[in-house]
Amino acid sequence: MDYRFWFANAPGISDAEKRKLLHIFGREEELFSLSENQVEKLELLSPRAREALLAAQRDKSWQGKRKTLLEQGVSLVCWRDKEYPEKLKNLYDPPYCLYVKGKLPPQEQKTVALVGARSCSDYGRAAAETIARELAVHGVGVISGMAYGIDAAAHQGALRAAERSGSPLGIFRAAESSGSPREALSGHDNGGESPVFDTIGSTYAVLGCGVDVCYPAAHRRLYEQMIRTGGVISEAPLGCPPLRHLFPRRNRIISGLSDAVVVVEARKRSGSLITADCALEQGKLVYAVPGRISDELSYGANWLLSQGAFVLYSVREFLKDLGVEKTEPEKFMENSLEKNERLVYSVLDFTPKHLETLLVETGLDFDGILKVLYRLTELGCAKEIHQNYYIKSKVDS
Amino acid sequence: MYSVIATAAVHGIAGMIVKVETDVTNGMPEFEMVGILSSEVKEARARIRAAIHNTGFLLPPKKVTVNLGPADVRKSGTGFDLPIALSVLAAYGLLESEACAGTLFTGEIGLSGRLRPVRGILPMVLTARDHGYTHVVIPKENEAEACMVKGMNIHPAKTLWEVISWLKGERTLEPGPINIEETGSPQEEPVDFSRINGQRVLRRACEVAASGMHNLLMVGPPGAGKTMVARALPGILPKLTEEERMELARIYSVSGRFEERRSNLYARPFRSPHYSVTATALVGGGRVAQPGEISLAHKGILFLDELTEYQRPVLEQLRQPLEERKVRLARVSGTYCYPADCMLVGAMNPCGCGYYPDKNKCACTPGDIRRHLRKVSRPLLDRMDMSVEVPRVKMSELTGSGENESSQAIRSRVEKAVELQERRYGQENFRYNSRIPADKIDTYCPMEPGARKQIARAYEQLNLSARAYHRLIRVARTIADLSESDLISESHMREALLYRTMDEAVWR
Repeated sequence: MDYRFWFANAPGISDAEKRKLLHIFGREEELFSLSENQVEKLELLSPRAREALLAAQRDKSWQGKRKTLLEQGVSLVCWRDKEYPEKLKNLYDPPYCLYVKGKLPPQEQKTVALVGARSCSDYGRAAAETIARELAVHGVGVISGMAYGIDAAAHQGALRAAERSGSPLGIFRAAESSGSPREALSGHDNGGESPVFDTIGSTYAVLGCGVDVCYPAAHRRLYEQMIRTGGVISEAPLGCPPLRHLFPRRNRIISGLSDAVVVVEARKRSGSLITADCALEQGKLVYAVPGRISDELSYGANWLLSQGAFVLYSVREFLKDLGVEKTEPEKFMENSLEKNERLVYSVLDFTPKHLETLLVETGLDFDGILKVLYRLTELGCAKEIHQNYYIKSKVDS
Repeated sequence: MYSVIATAAVHGIAGMIVKVETDVTNGMPEFEMVGILSSEVKEARARIRAAIHNTGFLLPPKKVTVNLGPADVRKSGTGFDLPIALSVLAAYGLLESEACAGTLFTGEIGLSGRLRPVRGILPMVLTARDHGYTHVVIPKENEAEACMVKGMNIHPAKTLWEVISWLKGERTLEPGPINIEETGSPQEEPVDFSRINGQRVLRRACEVAASGMHNLLMVGPPGAGKTMVARALPGILPKLTEEERMELARIYSVSGRFEERRSNLYARPFRSPHYSVTATALVGGGRVAQPGEISLAHKGILFLDELTEYQRPVLEQLRQPLEERKVRLARVSGTYCYPADCMLVGAMNPCGCGYYPDKNKCACTPGDIRRHLRKVSRPLLDRMDMSVEVPRVKMSELTGSGENESSQAIRSRVEKAVELQERRYGQENFRYNSRIPADKIDTYCPMEPGARKQIARAYEQLNLSARAYHRLIRVARTIADLSESDLISESHMREALLYRTMDEAVWR
């Protein structure tokens, strides 16, 4: 009997109370076999929690739930497990347990949370993607919330780094997690040795719903990829729908799991600012990507800067701050481009420009500019972000 | 006594010879009409009786039986009035039956005996010619339409009396001097491309679309000039061929809109139904089947402005005709087939407010945008050969000095490309690049190895469907034709990729 699972899943008892109970009784099994009398005498629990504990003892459905958990290859990481992220332990209100599909970030891995607006601009999307990619190339774990906009861009950027490094990670880890879910579940017994783990291109999503619920549903593909190269994490039990109140709590885990939080684009009153607040309370570094003062979408980020957040003006410097050495300085030689290519590249920007604008600004003819754009796209210097709209896709860091 | 008079009915856009037989005998006075008649044909009875009376004939009460044969085809329309009246008169012995032989009659009659115009004159006259008739008597108002058919003696008449006296040899019925090109209400001239500033990408896309009759989708913020460009499009399309012109005239004749086209018989039609259009009006239909907008746009442009505002079921109706290039309407009375070989041009905003991807102006959430785009279904989108994003025009371009290319200059290039296609597809049953069947693409679209590599890469990266892949090659073929090259080169393919339809990721 997996009493660990039973206790973690018992509803109605707060995380703090669970920690206290476990501290006193030592083992979950003891709690399961407490008699009604004994429970009634537990003064440290609220009357409601006592009721809940008794109800949980009577409830037989948890065995079934545990089976689903095993079948889905979800692992449960509790407060006292070795895998439980050290970074979370120092929080004021750490989650008692985490459901993980895929992996948690290894304890020693540097992690950065990238957060921002769902309805973001292309500038924000490009920035998030580029920053995430650079971080992931250097083995930094990218954490976000799998929402639309900045979140998705951050995850995608990190995944792209994995593609580039060609790490066989994806296949290797998929086989592992589906092979023996039982082992994954009882991870705290055999734990210790984390498997050979390539941290390049790893990205983690913390959800505001159960880890088996893909929310938003449109990100199904992203979700699947992330399970293979990183993990999907949540404190909500399996099957839990995305509930409003879970999201602010989810934000504290995002910041808690990270060494630094980067706000890419946020409006005046944005959920991302809540994450930034959590990060400050938890003593994490808060960075913001500056925007133009005319962009409403950058208001939140710029406001954070005015409040003393760090400016993320260069990924290289950011990596230095994190204590990660930039390995291969994959220097992009603007000089290696031909004259026309350089011309077009210099006109490109992080805000998308229509082909029409590029034609006017460069003065090239139709065929010429298409040729150059095609070449730049091939080199990875430009990207057609919408139909006929192009952006620069390399940062000179 | 017995008499028989020839007339014609319209089925789809084809004509069909109908014989009106009348028998007059003694017996209970009655006027019976048979031959599966719709109500407007049955009502002819009352019109004819009054008209004959008012023309000055007295019909003694007798048993009159009128049969419209072939008897197993449903007859509708008002063109039977005149032949029935003549047939009755002949059966009463008031007319020489022989005088009517070899002549086809059609026309509606008012109570006073005045002839009124009817729909579908053109297919009727054509059928008459095909069946060896040499003379046709028609209402005066239909004269211009009938005169389009060469080698027929057209006799326009104003009243029943005129027809009778012509049959008696007392007068002649000759068409007035008609210059089809000059009469009729002047049609709206298409906007000239020289009036469109900036928008070089869109201009070029239009040129390519016009050259290969590719369907075109324009996506852009309000006021970017999408509608204006669409209105300029007919001006750069090649002139109609004689065959196409005749086919179009038939469609317009059948739907009773010949006057609309009369002034501009050589121009390609441009139809832009408002988005409140119903499915019947768009593809055709009705109890008595009528061609819809898509058929009226045959060999021309069907422009759907604000594509997202159309009712989705209405738009979905377009799928099959766009593929088959004709509309088949099955009714109890038979199956009607109307040609519908048009170039579909759509215009829409990228999101509800219209400004996406300019996030400073657009406050639509990703969900809003998806909901907006989803109003146009994927399958319909799959039938758009080309798609362009139209940006807002900059002030400097708007006021810039107008040395833009004129429609005339663009059309000369388009015509050259069309000529090339005509030569290439001489033996085939299609004439434009956009109509190349998938199995003939390899034959007609040879590519440079570089271009082949490019499209192979795009196929993987953009996650193209097989249909989209073929579409890209067809568009590249047209671009190559515009530069008069037999081989599709890398630069042609690059340009074709520019006009690919929106990515799967954006549009789901």
